Amino acid sequence: MDADRPPFEDLYRDYLGRIYAFVRAQVGSSSDAEDITAQVFMNAYQAYSRFEARNTTPAAWLFRIARNAALDHFRAQGRRDRLRRTIERQPVAEDDPAGQAEERIQYRALLARVAQLPERQREAISLRHSGLSFDEVGKLIGCSEDAAKMLYHRALKALKEAVQKEAL
Amino acid sequence: MSVNGGEEDLELQALQRQLDDAFETTRPRPGFDDELWLRMQGIRPAPRRLRDAFAGLFNGIRAVPAVPLTAVAAILVVVIFVAALTRIGSFGPGGGGASTGANSAQAPADRSLYAGSFGRLPTPAFAAPGLPSGSLPSSNQGSAAAAAPRYTWTGTFTLNIATAPVFRYHEPSTNAADQFATALGAVLHERPSGFLGSYTAADYSLKVRGTVQSPPSSPAYFIFSSNAMPAVDAAGAGPIDQANVFLAQHSLTPQWSYTVEADTSSDPVQVHYDRQFDVPGYGPAYLVRSDGAHDGLQVSLSANRPVLASGLLPMSLDVADYRLVSADEAIRAAVAATGPAAGGPSPVPPVNLSQAEVVYVLVPAGDHSFYEPAIFFTGTSTQNGQTQTRHVLVPAVDPSQRTP
Repeated sequence: MDADRPPFEDLYRDYLGRIYAFVRAQVGSSSDAEDITAQVFMNAYQAYSRFEARNTTPAAWLFRIARNAALDHFRAQGRRDRLRRTIERQPVAEDDPAGQAEERIQYRALLARVAQLPERQREAISLRHSGLSFDEVGKLIGCSEDAAKMLYHRALKALKEAVQKEAL
Repeated sequence: MSVNGGEEDLELQALQRQLDDAFETTRPRPGFDDELWLRMQGIRPAPRRLRDAFAGLFNGIRAVPAVPLTAVAAILVVVIFVAALTRIGSFGPGGGGASTGANSAQAPADRSLYAGSFGRLPTPAFAAPGLPSGSLPSSNQGSAAAAAPRYTWTGTFTLNIATAPVFRYHEPSTNAADQFATALGAVLHERPSGFLGSYTAADYSLKVRGTVQSPPSSPAYFIFSSNAMPAVDAAGAGPIDQANVFLAQHSLTPQWSYTVEADTSSDPVQVHYDRQFDVPGYGPAYLVRSDGAHDGLQVSLSANRPVLASGLLPMSLDVADYRLVSADEAIRAAVAATGPAAGGPSPVPPVNLSQAEVVYVLVPAGDHSFYEPAIFFTGTSTQNGQTQTRHVLVPAVDPSQRTP
């Protein structure tokens, strides 16, 4: 075991919830979020022997895998369908017990709004509020730290406007 | 809507706080973490299994045990550590040195302010298998204490840490047991009393059990080989190699830190994987059962064929740091211990404790149970020319952070 590399069990314990929340803000349903989160950690588990702590933090490494998994999910399911649901304001199916339980979560509606933001804005909000620094956010989405800050603040304003429109 | 800059800033700040809360409170459904962890154990690729096997083999070669001290009988003395440590007086006669690290000097006056995030912990209530129930040792045992041995401390115990992690787990459900079995390729057969499930596979049967309250025992699995279980095909491999291969083939290689040793003194041969917890600033600390023996995973081999494997059920552990007693306090508790009363009229020989180490013990507590640090003292006493090894176990978590 690399001396700088924590046991994978520690990463799993520390980041499972955060990765799930990040994914949940990307996709529309809790069941999709569970599937993607499971794929993230199974991929990470198999690749952990190649993880080098001196190159990146465990958080940035895991969120990169999560971001790629979410993008794969959208590619597989078809971005068009998701956009259609958004335009038609159709709620995502949540007929499973877990989904119904999640209805009770106070901030579910807010995350649903985040999920409807343009892709880069959505990622900037989700990564930032998952605990990553702007430097880490920028590296993950391929821009500078300053650009990540600007993108985040634009996303925040867009989200505020969306929330206000929803309230009207 | 027109708002001035100040109002908009406040609204954005409020939105940021809501986002922080949203991301902080959005978590997968209960049980998802256990299910996923078990799935992950089941999908490990063959190269990784093989690597685990070789890694285990290497560790095994390095950790071949020393010859057992057959001439020395071991007697475990377990101490129920009363909360009022401060009432315990001075060291026993011949008390030796003890030192605490710099962290201890920074301990606040009111230690209760530093309770860990799990709240007050249950105090270990150790049982002592093999001892008459009436002789369960206690530091306030009254008249029975008159016949107890006198403990002294002559060693040096340095505890350079003021806190140590405490681990907590949810009691595994039948669903979690089923997931574990499924990942191994076993199917549910029945749910016998005392077990979460009994399962069958092509060449073995499996039973999974939850926490046992007394004597405290961790959730565990038991694999009983059928006659169809083949011998491990590894030319020239010793028992540890064979056990490693068997575990890797069944995706059961421990994911926790351990040392491994083989007891070849009888048939079947026993291969023990002793679990360790990493204590920052201290190092690895063994998980011990209530009788002081190391806990973890055991594989029994007969004629190169695995006949039984039993080990800790994989579980996700929460962790929180808790303040510890100092080395001095632990030693005072140990020397104040009252062991089992002697049965005969002969005087009880004094026990000279000389070694101490941090270990972990299971403390069952219903839906959630804990692995808590403890201090494991070892010493000797001599009677009629025969030297006996004795142990004293005292909880390490500060009494202010435990329930009485």
